[in-house]
Amino acid sequence: MSNRIPGCYRPLGLAFFVVSALALGSGSLLAKSLRLNITADPAMIDPITYSEIVAGRVMRNIYEGFTEETPDGKIIPMLATSWEILPDGKGFRFNLRKGVTFHSGRPFTARDIKYTFETLLTPGMKGGLSASYLTTVIGAAEMKSGAAKDLEGVKVVDDHTLEVRFTKADVLFPIYPFQFMDSGIVTELGPDWMQKASAGTGPFKFKQWKRGVEVELDANNAYWGGAPKIDGLRFLVVPNADTALSQYDAGELDFLDVHESTFRRVLRDERYKDQLQKVGRAQSRYLGMNQNLYAPFKDKRVREAISLSLNRDAMIRGLYDGAGFPLNGVITPGVAGYNPDLPALKFDPERAKKLLTEAGFPEGKGMPPVDISGPAVSKDELTYYANQLNRVLGMQVNVTVIERATFIRSMNAGEVAFFPWAWTSGYPDALYYLAQMWYGPSPFNRPRWKNSDYDKVIEEAQGTFDDKARFALYHKAEKILMDDWGTAPLPMAASIALSKPNVTGASVTPFGFAPFKNVTIK
Amino acid sequence: MLRFILRRILAMLPVLAIVLVVTFLATRALPGDPVLVMLSDHSSDAALAARLRADYGLDQPLWRQFLTYVLGALQGNFGLSFKYVRVPVVDVLKDGLAISPLLATAALALALPLGTLAGVIAAVKRNTSADTAIILVLVAGLSIPNFAIATFLVYLFSIKLALLPVAGWGRLDQAVLPIIILAIPSAAYIARLARTFMLEVLQQDYIRTARAKGLKDTLVIGRHALRNIMIPLLTSAGIIFGGLLSNTFVIETIFNIPGLGRIAIDSIFARDYPVAMAIVVLFTLFFIIINLAVDVAYALIDPRLRARMLAA
Repeated sequence: MSNRIPGCYRPLGLAFFVVSALALGSGSLLAKSLRLNITADPAMIDPITYSEIVAGRVMRNIYEGFTEETPDGKIIPMLATSWEILPDGKGFRFNLRKGVTFHSGRPFTARDIKYTFETLLTPGMKGGLSASYLTTVIGAAEMKSGAAKDLEGVKVVDDHTLEVRFTKADVLFPIYPFQFMDSGIVTELGPDWMQKASAGTGPFKFKQWKRGVEVELDANNAYWGGAPKIDGLRFLVVPNADTALSQYDAGELDFLDVHESTFRRVLRDERYKDQLQKVGRAQSRYLGMNQNLYAPFKDKRVREAISLSLNRDAMIRGLYDGAGFPLNGVITPGVAGYNPDLPALKFDPERAKKLLTEAGFPEGKGMPPVDISGPAVSKDELTYYANQLNRVLGMQVNVTVIERATFIRSMNAGEVAFFPWAWTSGYPDALYYLAQMWYGPSPFNRPRWKNSDYDKVIEEAQGTFDDKARFALYHKAEKILMDDWGTAPLPMAASIALSKPNVTGASVTPFGFAPFKNVTIK
Repeated sequence: MLRFILRRILAMLPVLAIVLVVTFLATRALPGDPVLVMLSDHSSDAALAARLRADYGLDQPLWRQFLTYVLGALQGNFGLSFKYVRVPVVDVLKDGLAISPLLATAALALALPLGTLAGVIAAVKRNTSADTAIILVLVAGLSIPNFAIATFLVYLFSIKLALLPVAGWGRLDQAVLPIIILAIPSAAYIARLARTFMLEVLQQDYIRTARAKGLKDTLVIGRHALRNIMIPLLTSAGIIFGGLLSNTFVIETIFNIPGLGRIAIDSIFARDYPVAMAIVVLFTLFFIIINLAVDVAYALIDPRLRARMLAA
């Protein structure tokens, strides 16, 4: 072969390789990219199939929607500058931001939004999480079944005006976390475009994904909100919690998403005190008590007694490794509609015993045994409840551990009597919790708690555009649920992050990480 | 010789077949329907469940799924990953494929000379303090689990002295600690073997002859004794290599190296069964190849053995 390198030159090639490898290595040390950890590879990196947490953490920096929430839970306009509700209350007219370009350089217009929505609903495109926010849009069902190719309820008025119409009122539509994508990308790069480029408008763009190693993003210097002050982001894939902490200690990570198994170590270590960020997660934790499956739960006094038997401070210190906050209802702070004035949930064994006696079960006598169940990760928690309820109330509670997917299926089918569970909010509005977890017709009302007054309030809230009026309805609904002891709320879990002293603007929020567009590294 | 190798390969086919059947059945028998895992909270969506089942061929009868799997595997196609949307298993594995064998080879290349040297010194200076010291180190190297050694060395070299990176893959300095830690137990094992073999060889008549004709000690050991212990040492290297390959699971997880070992662990936790199955099959293949290499090495080194094998 003519292109074969003569043997005597091969060492030269090797030397060249080594030198260039060294040059590349030192180059990456000089560049100021924010290095942070993710626990696994993202399962996908495109806004259509997007459906899991790790992918979300990366993609928030690449893609944008109508609005975004700030780290303290406020909604700010992003690609929509303003919106008004249509006269019949069943739709919105969005005014879109002008002068925004995609990473490809193509301008962002209303047509891209329509394209994103249609692709999410097209059979065979595997539309993920975002597709579920389109169910109320007129024509969505027809598109999903393949009967229509055009999403009827979405109308492109002009380049920067879009109208969306619903089959029923959906006042939260502007805050749903959509990720709008460039409608020209598939024509340009083909159906596997996501392996080569990104199709968003966000402050960072896709550079490369080395599976098992890292996802690298470059700063988008043409970003409409101003170019980021760093060169890029490097999400290092580090599944092992101890390795991640050591990498942070050794300066190989600038920002650390602390894994639960190292919470205690990090919280106790004085070194981290000034680098620590601790925030309650937008996740509502509760004890589910299904009244159809265990007769004593039908008595409100029994349900209240169970809540009174839980020592929530001790739970935060022990079960939560110190990384928790008390929560007195089912709506978490940082989510619009949170009520800070709810009465504190007390640990009162005496009153709990008294209530149980009044319900006809003195010291638990006459109560049939009940199983408290959950997946393997909740083993310790389950044991705590079983033991605590036995000690305080004399209830006989057995711990049952079930394979996770099977357990979720049983909960969805309303077949689990007694269980702790958590529901993570998909967007910063309390309706997410209230309408999914406790609303009668919701498939996610796993304890099957039913209250027609509550359902009416929720339906009213779903059609109330005015925030103040809607939040008042949330408070009313939450009070109905709590007055009935429909559940025993559990403390909120915290997210913990460490940020090196030379890094500013990187923050952990109730919803994960805020986009890193304002980060600086000294 | 070729006939011998062919015969060995044929004898290994049933092993591969059994592994294929067992891994296939095991992943099907595990608790947790993969479609339910994919659906998670949305398990009540029957239409979506049916669509996913069809997408991954899980709606077919078991025998047909198995047939599809085996026919695909024979052509190097292990289906689609459950975790990574639309990504074939082969693409998930291809970047990590060479890493585990590479780590094991590097560790063996380090352990073999080091271990041999330590063993020879211990044997030559037997019953002295040097021998005792080496044996102590050997016992430590063999009995301290490598994750403990790893934690200690990372703390020392990466955090306290800041000489080497804690974890990662892609640069040369990131490979140093993993290879050393992987090599330690093997080096200790090789040293123990080398010491035993050496003690035996030193008793032989030809060594006494060599000494009697006035050869220097270094020559006696270096030329006459060492060559004779290399034969059994090299053949045990195959078995040691297999052990190293298994140890990469732990090392890759600790040092965050994207090799097959870590992909295996990740895929099991993510219930990405097609990926986990493909890795089991690949590791079976690796071991078959190692065993074959060891058998061939035996035959090459010992003509008597070769004759007996061919006759059988």
